[in-house]
Amino acid sequence: MIPTDPQDRDIFAAEYVLGTLDARAVAEVEAALPGDAGLRAAIREWEVRLAPLLALAAPESPPPDLWDRIEAALPGAPRLAPVPRRRRWLDPWRGWAIGASAVAAGLAALLVTRPVPEPPRLMTVLLTQRDQPAWVVEANAAGQLRLASLNPRRLEEGRAMQLWGLPPGATAPTSLGLIPPEGQLTVSTGGLRPEPGMLIEISLEPPGGSPTGRPTGPILFIGRLTEAGAS
Amino acid sequence: MRAESPAAALLVEVARGDRGALRALYQQQATRLFGIAQSILRDREAAADAVQDAFLRISQRAAQFDPARGEAGAWLGAVARHAALDLARKRGRELPTDDPALGDIAVAPEALEHVAASAEGRRLRDCLSALDEKNRKGILLAFVHGLSHAQVAARLDLPLGTVKAWIRRGLLQLRECLT
Repeated sequence: MIPTDPQDRDIFAAEYVLGTLDARAVAEVEAALPGDAGLRAAIREWEVRLAPLLALAAPESPPPDLWDRIEAALPGAPRLAPVPRRRRWLDPWRGWAIGASAVAAGLAALLVTRPVPEPPRLMTVLLTQRDQPAWVVEANAAGQLRLASLNPRRLEEGRAMQLWGLPPGATAPTSLGLIPPEGQLTVSTGGLRPEPGMLIEISLEPPGGSPTGRPTGPILFIGRLTEAGAS
Repeated sequence: MRAESPAAALLVEVARGDRGALRALYQQQATRLFGIAQSILRDREAAADAVQDAFLRISQRAAQFDPARGEAGAWLGAVARHAALDLARKRGRELPTDDPALGDIAVAPEALEHVAASAEGRRLRDCLSALDEKNRKGILLAFVHGLSHAQVAARLDLPLGTVKAWIRRGLLQLRECLT
């Protein structure tokens, strides 16, 4: 509950800035912000008051590929030029997809085409309701998911496709974002670590995504992450 | 070089949808913002996720930056901190807080000298110095390392309720001191 007393509200804003509020309180604050100019101003003032403390964090160089990841994750990002290694493993999928019926056979083919052993790679093929392969999903070492459509098709007007992840044991899927019309994307999964057995789903949703935080439309495609590089 | 443009000017261009300006902002700020995220997450992969999320937020929210109400560096730092804090909360703050050296730098007496690079920083340093030592440490550990009330309590060996009340009192005193 966001306090109503002005003094308590201001300290609540300070605790939001400090970072000591729990996830539920933070969600409340962020839901209230668009309609609460007073709370916005209080938070901004605290951000400014405490900003000199930012100097206490020692600067550290980020991983060299971080800008490329950011650029690929921006809305409407241009397709990344595939690096040769990636092309080598994607191409068999494309060919296989045309006459596919057995996902397991495809996974085996993938292993054969991989030239050098690398850390276990998590991947899956999302299938349609009629078990037709539709998307290749791969988790990279940074914990992101990369998606590539095997047979891009136009979505009907006024609909969106939303990506979801359901880790083993979880009771509700977590949204991983909307899928752009280009049909290829990299998503950062935030706190959700891709792991073997995690279900990946794509549902049909209204524009802007599910209003409830759960899939509301039909599940169009589904697959389960599997270790593909394990030997 | 655009990377040498002031961050505030770059933010104006980012708000117009200029991706080159976002890139220049990244080149200029990434090391500082990654350090801020890494202080909270203490995991380079997670910090990279947080900085990625921060730059997506910056690209979406650049228009909300108002140079009349604070510096661009402070605004960018706040976006990065909240991205890192959100990630820490999603992970249930399962972070290595048992590192005995954690936070020593942030709460060392000389650390506050880093804060005093600007006039605002000197005032904040003076006001922080006036707080009880445990109040000050609690606030610094929460801000710099993203520690929760419970983690601050464990670290300072104080009851949880005491820590909550002390941090609130410390914040109140800071606000009065800075006014």
